[in-house]
Amino acid sequence: MAEKRRSGGTSGMSESKPTKTDTEREFLSQAGVGELLRGALLKMVEARSEDPMGFLADHFCNQASEAENGTGGCCSDGDLLNLGAGAHEQQQLSRALWHLRLAHHSQRSAFSNNVRVAYDLLTQTGPQRRGAVGPSGPAGQCSSNSPGGGVRGRLYTHTLQCLCSEGGVPVSTSAPLLRRLHCQDHEAVPYDIFRHGVLTCAVFSDYIRRAQRLYAEVCGPAEGPAGRTLCLAVLGTLHEALETSRSNEAKVSRYLEASAKISPGKLAQAMAGAEPAGGNMDAKEFEDAAAELFIARVRVVC
Amino acid sequence: MSVNTVPCTVKPTVTLQIGDAETDSSRPGVYVIDVTLPIGQTVNIQEISFKNYYTAYVSVRLLRRDGEGAAKWTTCLRNHCLMPSPHTEEGSQDYCSVYRQQMLIEPDNVTSVRLILRQPSSAWLNFSVEDIKIHPCLNEDSEWDIPDWLSDLTQVDQLCDLQGLPDPQTVSSSIQQMWALTEVMQTNQTTASIGRFDVDGCYDINLLSFT
Repeated sequence: MAEKRRSGGTSGMSESKPTKTDTEREFLSQAGVGELLRGALLKMVEARSEDPMGFLADHFCNQASEAENGTGGCCSDGDLLNLGAGAHEQQQLSRALWHLRLAHHSQRSAFSNNVRVAYDLLTQTGPQRRGAVGPSGPAGQCSSNSPGGGVRGRLYTHTLQCLCSEGGVPVSTSAPLLRRLHCQDHEAVPYDIFRHGVLTCAVFSDYIRRAQRLYAEVCGPAEGPAGRTLCLAVLGTLHEALETSRSNEAKVSRYLEASAKISPGKLAQAMAGAEPAGGNMDAKEFEDAAAELFIARVRVVC
Repeated sequence: MSVNTVPCTVKPTVTLQIGDAETDSSRPGVYVIDVTLPIGQTVNIQEISFKNYYTAYVSVRLLRRDGEGAAKWTTCLRNHCLMPSPHTEEGSQDYCSVYRQQMLIEPDNVTSVRLILRQPSSAWLNFSVEDIKIHPCLNEDSEWDIPDWLSDLTQVDQLCDLQGLPDPQTVSSSIQQMWALTEVMQTNQTTASIGRFDVDGCYDINLLSFT
């Protein structure tokens, strides 16, 4: 729709058209639509989801409810706060999980940003102080520092459990890992530990999926379970490689040496050397054995 | 050509000619250049390099110190040809190297090197060699030890007895990814602590007072 601007001309016509352009532009800048759209597009580029329409719908929903809660939490009275605490927490958790799902952990900077956003979201939950309602009023949001100075332990554990289960890891397999990352319910989890826990769970779910695929490969085209000695031989090479690259110096030669231990030639040798007798190993046992290799190297939170 | 050279002194050339040097006006056809190492130092020569300047033939003699300390001159290179035809330009300004393998004797424990230059052609006013450098032997095992695992690499093709076993390539690929994921997790561990004060799960006041 081309708008013609007339330098002089009849007063009636020329006045209405420039004002119309100005009002539209003014309207857009006042509403902050440019910022909204830019934020949405940036998030979309980071996440690269397969369903752009659904992603944008989710994004705008989240933004809307965050904006609501920001002012709503301050202005509402005591009853609403107490009733809504559980539901509010659940909502924040699901929102934080949505953020954490946006980028894969290999996209390091996007993932770190999302962890930061999720951490900030989760530190806002919990009972807000009564005193905070008065001074801040409807003008701004509530202070983002929760009384504890971190994410509550219970919420942190719940986040990790959700991450593991969404990643396809059965509860029994992830239980030893969560024991290592566990924080007490009442404790306040600082950002570093939160990030460590989230990243470990994300990497662990990838690891378990890989292990499941590996079991299928070791079984081969045969229908039944794989031989025990064969599985142990294969996992043994992984164990050796992890032991070799364990040194704190992280010398390149150690990585090369470790990778030489899991080359196709070495694996062929290990598999050929495995005796055929010795029973079978089912998928669950294989998964647990592989998980144990990973979990043994996770630092316990203390 | 190795970069490291041994510091040595090149003495001025000495001409060898028949008759009296001052009265005889013909140009000499033989020059001798001595290259000495600092007193007390010996070298195991890997290579002698120089730039030729119209020298046709070169002989090299070495002063070697043997076990008892006595020094002996021996010829290690006899009439090595630098210019295929002494009257023509070919090879006249080449950069040359004499290697250990070309020498008649082992050039070890050398204290002095003598280069005997010959140019039978009268076409050239002058001849010599320039920029003489002596390169010592490098120690075999000084810097890098070849690790054992490098010589232990096996190829998949070498093992043909893989019937009934899963494909090593796909299995190896999965194992490598699992290894990489574990390494990612390990390198991103945090050293931060949550700051607990309990001793063995207990917050006993008496225990806390000692921390």
